[in-house]
Amino acid sequence: MTHGMAHDPAHDAAPGEHVFDVGMLTRVEGEGSLTLRVRDGAVVQAQLGIFEAPRYFERLVVGRTPDEVIDIVARICGICPVAYQMSAVHAFEALFGVQVDPGVRALRRLFYCGEWIESHALHIYLLHAPDFLGYPSAIELARDHRAVVERALAMKRTGNALVARLGARPIHPLTVRVGGWSRIPTRKELLALRPALDEALATAQATVDFVTTLSAPDFMREPRLVSLRHPDEYPMNEGRIVSTDGLDIALGSWREAFAEDQVAWSNALQARTHAGEVYLLGPSSRVTLNAARLHPLAADALARTGLAEQIRVNPYWSIAARAVELVHATAEAIDIIDSYVAPDRAFTPWEPRAGSAGWATEAPRGLLFHHYEIDERGLVSAAQIVPPTSQNQAAIEADLTAFAPSVLALPHAEATLRLEQLIRSYDPCISCATHFLDLRIETADR
Amino acid sequence: MTTEPPAGVWLLACGNPDRRDDGAALVATRGLAATECGQLDIDDLLRAPAGVPIVICDAAAGVAPGLVVTKTFDELLANPRGPSPHSSHALPIDQVIGVARALSNKPIDGLFVGVGGADFGFGRGLSPSVEAALPQFRAAIESLV
Repeated sequence: MTHGMAHDPAHDAAPGEHVFDVGMLTRVEGEGSLTLRVRDGAVVQAQLGIFEAPRYFERLVVGRTPDEVIDIVARICGICPVAYQMSAVHAFEALFGVQVDPGVRALRRLFYCGEWIESHALHIYLLHAPDFLGYPSAIELARDHRAVVERALAMKRTGNALVARLGARPIHPLTVRVGGWSRIPTRKELLALRPALDEALATAQATVDFVTTLSAPDFMREPRLVSLRHPDEYPMNEGRIVSTDGLDIALGSWREAFAEDQVAWSNALQARTHAGEVYLLGPSSRVTLNAARLHPLAADALARTGLAEQIRVNPYWSIAARAVELVHATAEAIDIIDSYVAPDRAFTPWEPRAGSAGWATEAPRGLLFHHYEIDERGLVSAAQIVPPTSQNQAAIEADLTAFAPSVLALPHAEATLRLEQLIRSYDPCISCATHFLDLRIETADR
Repeated sequence: MTTEPPAGVWLLACGNPDRRDDGAALVATRGLAATECGQLDIDDLLRAPAGVPIVICDAAAGVAPGLVVTKTFDELLANPRGPSPHSSHALPIDQVIGVARALSNKPIDGLFVGVGGADFGFGRGLSPSVEAALPQFRAAIESLV
């Protein structure tokens, strides 16, 4: 993790320009900045900078066995390690032709439910809700609405407990391996989680009701939304990559539709379609493209909000999409546990073979693509890891450009706060910390 | 591994041993009755017994590699930009302490003891500057427990 700002764009303001410079974005996961350059009342540049140092995981996994890679990529993020493990393990299994036991498959969905629960609870209540309720941070929210924050922590605890039960620890879990698990839980162990999940489901339902009491800025656009879609179930580990404009490709074919590119102001690669178009991933995309596949309780919750269209067109209402997914994840977790029969074997034996394979799964923040090349020794010779936040960067910048004119007449501090709030709507997971706000304004006269 | 902390202090050893200097506190507290907490979370503070001061040990962000720092919780709250635990992942340290204080029926107070890290990349083992500072880091912790 690095600290401190690099280049100060405010110093480069040209005559007639206003530069909105948020040196450190707050209440996002990781370290980033926002620079917005306005000339004669029009936004001429919006840059979401990610200046956390590159960590070179794609190089670190070269020369490693597939099972080592699964452990290594879990360290990329403390919030969504399950996602990194799932995209990797499915890519390897696709290449090696491994068919896992249905019980193993169910446990992987349960694993993902745990991660969605802890991540969404954190974002809804501690990172995002303060914006809607007019609090500068979760501290003030906790003082005035103690019960709200306590239920958030309880729900997060439940998600962590689920991940820990399956992965041996809540952060950077250890038990995923190619072909299955190194250890599978007993039915009794899973049933021990039922009371907490029952409570979490009630809390998730209350969360949906809570978010519908909020009001969001009236900012609407027609985004290109992308997510996985499975024919029978809400997407997590399997399906196809689809979009609101008709894309429909295999999970391993991400490169056929999208490409990464380096921009000067960010240490994270940005992704666009091959035609250069931006697109958005995450809960709003999943809910919009998969509403018919939500758990019945979550579908009811979505209907209750009356916000399905707002979720599609207004990024601020991603908080409602997350709340609906909280209901889905807790309800599905309960269903999986109730019907759980421990698989006969924890993993399917497999043999490595040379070749390449890609796979995408649905991290809490959206589609996470991995692609690996394996050499004749069964070791990784090349890797590509495309996190959701890097794919969302360009869409966030486009939305900032479209949104900014509506706040330029506000006092600078207020305008900057509104811009930060918009960024938080996407729940960017830049990496490993949330720090502080450093706002500087520079205005140059003609 | 977690051992029962002594009655006199709630010692939290934070960090990830697979991320080089991020594991400094885990090394420095070996043999002490510390609770390993990985990433520092609000719950880690709420679990502290009533009336027992909390000592958070972690690699420090915002200080020179190898430099050992001690800060009160109030100092962390007042200046979250300053030296702070590296392992408050999802929320910054002032949020972790502030929310814990808002939710707790008992005082949440204590000290942060940290050592500046040089390398938080993937892998085991400490950087030379942190390795050299370990005795001082350990002594600073032992003086509080």
